[in-house]
Amino acid sequence: MASTRDIRRRIKSVKNTRQITKAMELVAASKMKKAQQAALAGRAYAQLMADMLAALANRVEESQHPFLVQRPVKTRGILLVTTDKGLCGPLNANLFKLVTEIKGAAKYYVIGRKGSQFIARTKRDMVAEFPVTDRVAFSEVKVAAEFMVKQFLEGVIDTIEVIYPRFKNTLVQEPVVRPVLPLANLKEFMAHVKADAHHQPARNADTREILFEPNATQVLEALLPFYVNRHLYQLVLSAKASEHSARMVAMKTAKDNATKLLGDLTLEYNKARQAGITQEILEIAAAQFAAA
Amino acid sequence: MPLTLEIVTPEARVYSDTIDTVVIPTVEGEVGILPGHIPLLTQVEHGELRVTKGNQTHFLAVSGGFAEVDNDRVSILAEHAITEEKIDESAVETALKRAEQELHEAKHLDPAQYEHLQSMVRYSGTQLALKRRRR
Repeated sequence: MASTRDIRRRIKSVKNTRQITKAMELVAASKMKKAQQAALAGRAYAQLMADMLAALANRVEESQHPFLVQRPVKTRGILLVTTDKGLCGPLNANLFKLVTEIKGAAKYYVIGRKGSQFIARTKRDMVAEFPVTDRVAFSEVKVAAEFMVKQFLEGVIDTIEVIYPRFKNTLVQEPVVRPVLPLANLKEFMAHVKADAHHQPARNADTREILFEPNATQVLEALLPFYVNRHLYQLVLSAKASEHSARMVAMKTAKDNATKLLGDLTLEYNKARQAGITQEILEIAAAQFAAA
Repeated sequence: MPLTLEIVTPEARVYSDTIDTVVIPTVEGEVGILPGHIPLLTQVEHGELRVTKGNQTHFLAVSGGFAEVDNDRVSILAEHAITEEKIDESAVETALKRAEQELHEAKHLDPAQYEHLQSMVRYSGTQLALKRRRR
């Protein structure tokens, strides 16, 4: 049996760990609330924009804009959205699993330090890394989005896909690969958006010819890049909400484990202490008995 | 059959109601929408949006975005939108001053920031014009 001093030392260290994880849990919880609100508030907007796009897509030729044209995929462009810090459970590891499943040529664009470390470590082709703060300003994501779109138009990459932890609820974050460009398979894409928004107002489509003002090309040219930026932004918001949720859950588990361990250790400590006392009494009694 | 109007910004759903008519500021000038309008997709400009319901008229300030009319449903996606009652004149004024000052002082703004400030100035201007004209 370990000495009481050793056990006391361990109790102290577990107590410290519990205190730290508890503090981190509280911080993550407050950040999570904000991040979740931001992600949810943006959903109505994303939904409406997707609706518009869907109405549009049924009525225009696919060849009208480079974003809509499906071309042979030589190099995939992948935006990997990870966290800057660890201690968030299996969140990043799950994303990396998806990355390792990608075969063939691909270029990587990364948000989050963990992701860039992983890409560098596994010697994949990383083109750029974009820093994003906890607050996720639209301008930060816009830089990344515009850079990728530029490379897409230049033909450096033939798709834009996003790997990110999709926020389902506080306990469940699901790592997914979400194709963003080209928008050729709109049906599949609409299904994703609907799943995100959780509701779909019934719409019986108007079959009359749609009117574009000033004209179709101009509207498409304004709407599509705008849409891509906003869509990516929404995905990053969702990833942030996932990050803070995952961290809060991980920290809560750690805290609970520490509490449990502390209970076990205290019990062991008391037992050891009691055994020591009993021993001493026995010795004293024996000594007295011998002297008498 | 009345129209349904929905105005959504990235932050929130600003307006959602059934209405009689709406006048939207677009890049091509103002567009009035009545029930039975054919499907339309257009770009929204900075400006004031007029909503008529019964014999009441409401005003909203909107900044750039898109508007879609489909099956008597008017959806507007705007960067910002605010109803007239919610405009806080003094707050807007300070925001406008600060944005203008930044535009004047900073020589080497990157294009994105410049664009953002420009749009701030225009949106603030729209809000002020709307608020003051009502008096």
